[in-house]
Amino acid sequence: MIRRNFHPFRWLNLCRFASVAWLTLICGAGTVAQTQPRAQSKAVSNSDATALPVKSLGNRNAPITMEVFSDYQCPSCGNFFENSLKYMIPDMVANGQVYFIHRDFPLPMHPYSYMAARWANAAAKIGKFEIVDAALWDNQQAWSADGNIEKFVAVAVAPADFKRIKRLMEGCESNPNAAVKPAAFSGTAQTDHGCPLDAYIEQDKQLAKQIPVTQTPTTVITYKGQRLQAMPGFVTWPILKQFLNSLLSQ
Amino acid sequence: MMNETRGTSRRIFLLIARLALGVMFLFAAYAKLKPQAAMPWSIASVKISLSMFAMQVDSYQLLPAQAVTLVAHWLPFVELVLGLWLLSGLWLRFSSLATTLLLGGFFALMVRTYSMGLEINCGCFGPGEQLGKKTLLRDGSLLAFSLAVTICAFLANQRRDNTATSVPAAASQPQRAN
Repeated sequence: MIRRNFHPFRWLNLCRFASVAWLTLICGAGTVAQTQPRAQSKAVSNSDATALPVKSLGNRNAPITMEVFSDYQCPSCGNFFENSLKYMIPDMVANGQVYFIHRDFPLPMHPYSYMAARWANAAAKIGKFEIVDAALWDNQQAWSADGNIEKFVAVAVAPADFKRIKRLMEGCESNPNAAVKPAAFSGTAQTDHGCPLDAYIEQDKQLAKQIPVTQTPTTVITYKGQRLQAMPGFVTWPILKQFLNSLLSQ
Repeated sequence: MMNETRGTSRRIFLLIARLALGVMFLFAAYAKLKPQAAMPWSIASVKISLSMFAMQVDSYQLLPAQAVTLVAHWLPFVELVLGLWLLSGLWLRFSSLATTLLLGGFFALMVRTYSMGLEINCGCFGPGEQLGKKTLLRDGSLLAFSLAVTICAFLANQRRDNTATSVPAAASQPQRAN
């Protein structure tokens, strides 16, 4: 019975089939390995364009959600970042107590604030919001003078990331100066159709209308699903911390 | 007769004015102490409201953090006591003087902040009221009103004192004649 099943040709065929299959596998894997990086890079650039900008920091499920409506060129907003938010982020945001959301509310009186918001949104699309946001606030006075925001973004992020941000900024380069203002900067709700990033800024502005926000900075705090009264103006860190702690101790 | 009519109208003015100021101060205290959103009344929720008020005091950028906390935690209770004092009508000269001084302080602070160009919440009647020309006009009018009440209260008291001293004098005159 055993002898009848054993046939040398059958074994030979099996070996041939196995070697062909093995070769096919190796070649296939090689081809995939060669084509994958190209496909991946294409996927990255596509995902950059379609990704939503993440302008938030911390744990989404934190008991306190803090939304700050800011204008990158407003001095009070700069003060608020430098004297309060800068301390809050490594403390209460990092500890999971506060979920921080940046909202854009560029005021028409500031010629470069809309452009700065575009850079921040582009950075947020590739997950570099925190660094670029800090760079914009830290150098607010410098870029407010001439509108050269790009210089500070380039320094803040890695060259590869800057390239990605630049790619996202394509069509958004029409720098709005005080003399020539596109519709998007004139205070109306219209967006510059060449710049896809404006949609996110306008979205924030629509949210601001609902609250309503009339000035910057305005802080909106939601505690366990309950939205508290909007707080306009700059608040120092010790007082802000005291307030947040009083909420947490409830 | 004319003096009597003037005295009566002054008394009526003082009554209405002190009631109005008293109710206003009670409302101001209530607005600062009332719990945020849908929170129930409790010590914790009042503490939250006071901390929120501290943020408004802080936004005036005048006091250091410790002083801000002190002012924010005491001012609503001072307003509460002042409101009750005005309503009671006791020592009206002093209660109205305290009211005028307090309103004067508020008004000076608001003018300073407005001239600095700070866009903040007034914090006068709790959160959500932006400091602007309207709030300045309102607080200025209240200050003028309170000042008028104080002057009237002092005048009324002086008149009462004069009457009190002139009555015994008049009463003693016939005795001397006798």
